Amino acid sequence: MASSTLENTINKILDQTEKTIISDVESALHDSITTLENSVPKLEQEFDKIISDGKKEADKIEKQIVGSADLEARNKQLMALEDAVTRVFEKSLDEIKNADRSGDYANLIKSLLDDATKILGTTNVVVHTNSKDKDVVSSTLSQFPGAELSSELVDCLGGVIVKSKDGAMTFDNSIDARIDRLKPLIRKEIASKFGVGN
Amino acid sequence: MSGQGGVQYSKIAEIKGPLVIVDDVDNAAFDELVEIETKDGERRLGKVLEVGNGKAIVQVFEGTTGLSIAATNAKFVGKVMEMPVSREVLGRVFDGLGRPKDGLPDPIADSFIDINGEPMNPEQREYPKDFIQTGVSVIDGMITLVRGQKLPIFSGSGMSHNLLAAQIARQASVIGTQDDFAVVFAAIGVQYSEAEYFRRSLEESGALKRSVLFLNTADDPAIERIITPRVALTVAEYLAFELGMHVLVILTDMTNYAEALREISAAREEVPGRKGYPGYLYTDLSTIYERAGKLNGKKGSVTQVPILSMPSDDITHPIPDLTGYITEGQIVLGRDLFRQGVYPPVNILMSLSRLMKDGIGEGSTRADHGEISNQVYDAYSRAQEVRALAGIVGKAGLTDIDLKYMDLGDMFENQFLSQATDENRTIEETLGILWKLVSKLPKNEITKIKDKYVEQYYQEE
Repeated sequence: MASSTLENTINKILDQTEKTIISDVESALHDSITTLENSVPKLEQEFDKIISDGKKEADKIEKQIVGSADLEARNKQLMALEDAVTRVFEKSLDEIKNADRSGDYANLIKSLLDDATKILGTTNVVVHTNSKDKDVVSSTLSQFPGAELSSELVDCLGGVIVKSKDGAMTFDNSIDARIDRLKPLIRKEIASKFGVGN
Repeated sequence: MSGQGGVQYSKIAEIKGPLVIVDDVDNAAFDELVEIETKDGERRLGKVLEVGNGKAIVQVFEGTTGLSIAATNAKFVGKVMEMPVSREVLGRVFDGLGRPKDGLPDPIADSFIDINGEPMNPEQREYPKDFIQTGVSVIDGMITLVRGQKLPIFSGSGMSHNLLAAQIARQASVIGTQDDFAVVFAAIGVQYSEAEYFRRSLEESGALKRSVLFLNTADDPAIERIITPRVALTVAEYLAFELGMHVLVILTDMTNYAEALREISAAREEVPGRKGYPGYLYTDLSTIYERAGKLNGKKGSVTQVPILSMPSDDITHPIPDLTGYITEGQIVLGRDLFRQGVYPPVNILMSLSRLMKDGIGEGSTRADHGEISNQVYDAYSRAQEVRALAGIVGKAGLTDIDLKYMDLGDMFENQFLSQATDENRTIEETLGILWKLVSKLPKNEITKIKDKYVEQYYQEE
């Protein structure tokens, strides 16, 4: 009798425990399913964020690569253009240097002297020139009363450097100085022949 | 101008600070460019500040160190200082006087433009109303920058304004349009390391391609700094009004510019104004700041972000004070936030973009932008009051709602304000964070936003 009561009690406890365990397992399963279900949108959000961050990073890297490649190509083009411009310049300067000093050249010297004396406001000047232009300048100076030719020769392509006799003012009207003043415009002109700029 | 120009004078009467006084000068003109030739044949540039009684006062940009009265010549060039401009200036690095600093040749110029610019006809000005995205949340969300606006950054010594400047230069863009965008960056009197940082930062991010850099470093003569913002703005105006680009000009640091101006003024023995700056500091600054804007019938725009470091963090100092009169708002960097390690340390309660309201909202950013921004201003302001209160009564003495505001203040600084230097946030992301902050408050505390937006964007916990 006692053993059957004990058996019943044990069975009852076992049943209850089983029920509790099953209920706990079911609840845990339910909780897990809910957690899983709830985490799906969060996961999707995370996934979207990772994708979007990755895309941003990729865009950034693409910009870096394309930007620096573009710049490198542009810089090489600039250097090539500059080389070409320099060559044109050198050739032109060579031609000017070796130009024939007869004929119209005297008129050029006269107009250079005209400009310079007008700008300085006096013909009471000392004129410097190079060895090649010395004779032309000397013969033209007779038209400028008070002007003297300096015995000191200067190193230039041609033209004149004019100084007031007191030495206070100088006007450099040598061909070198004129080219220097107009260099940006001449560069532009040469570059346009290569299809760059206006 | 001195006729055709090119006359060289050899009678130097005096050399005083950055000024050379030339004697027996005829026909020189105000602002005329002058080439100073030293006894070694070195050439320096200068400009005429004053002419009269046969004398010309020349301001030498590269300083007068090493010049002597006996062996110096001054050649008056016959034109004002000009900047050669063309599309080719994009991607180039120049010094403070506009000479190439990147080892490449001078740009082939489409035209040569007077660096002093031409005043914009006020009647031709168009009201700025289009959004510029900087990718920096606090600027885009709370102190929005608008195309054609001039919005200075007031910083302090040692603060992270240069990081912010470089980040804006790298990330800034115009959205909703295919128009070209360019950045003109002028570094005025910055350290060599900072100049290198700007250059590398733009190069490595690929943003140099659409940028033009003018770098005047601290070891360059101070007087050169007078020219740097002007050459930068000349290029910006060309890109904007001739090539139709939207150009953002960043000028850092305008305090160095004003100090160069003070140096010249002192050398000219002018009557000093506040803190020794010349009385015309306001007028002079306006000749720079007013070169921002949009013009009727022109596609492009010039937007300016001048950066200035306030001596002793003093916002009443003449430089920020006078700048504030001319510009359309200010972004103020806070020392407290900087000390906390917040980047960018923008103190929004002292900052304001006066044109923001016209550049945001439907069609520009998002319909709720203005209202969410106002709500966050209000909440952050309340958070500051609560923090002050907590300092007296302790956290335990605060109500639940006070604590929520306090949390919102912390979140604002840690999640919205704080941003990595390479983090480029879209305006949608920025507004998303603002809504996340506001959603920390109960709905009945949200009083500045229409219900329809609250329903749409409020994030229930």
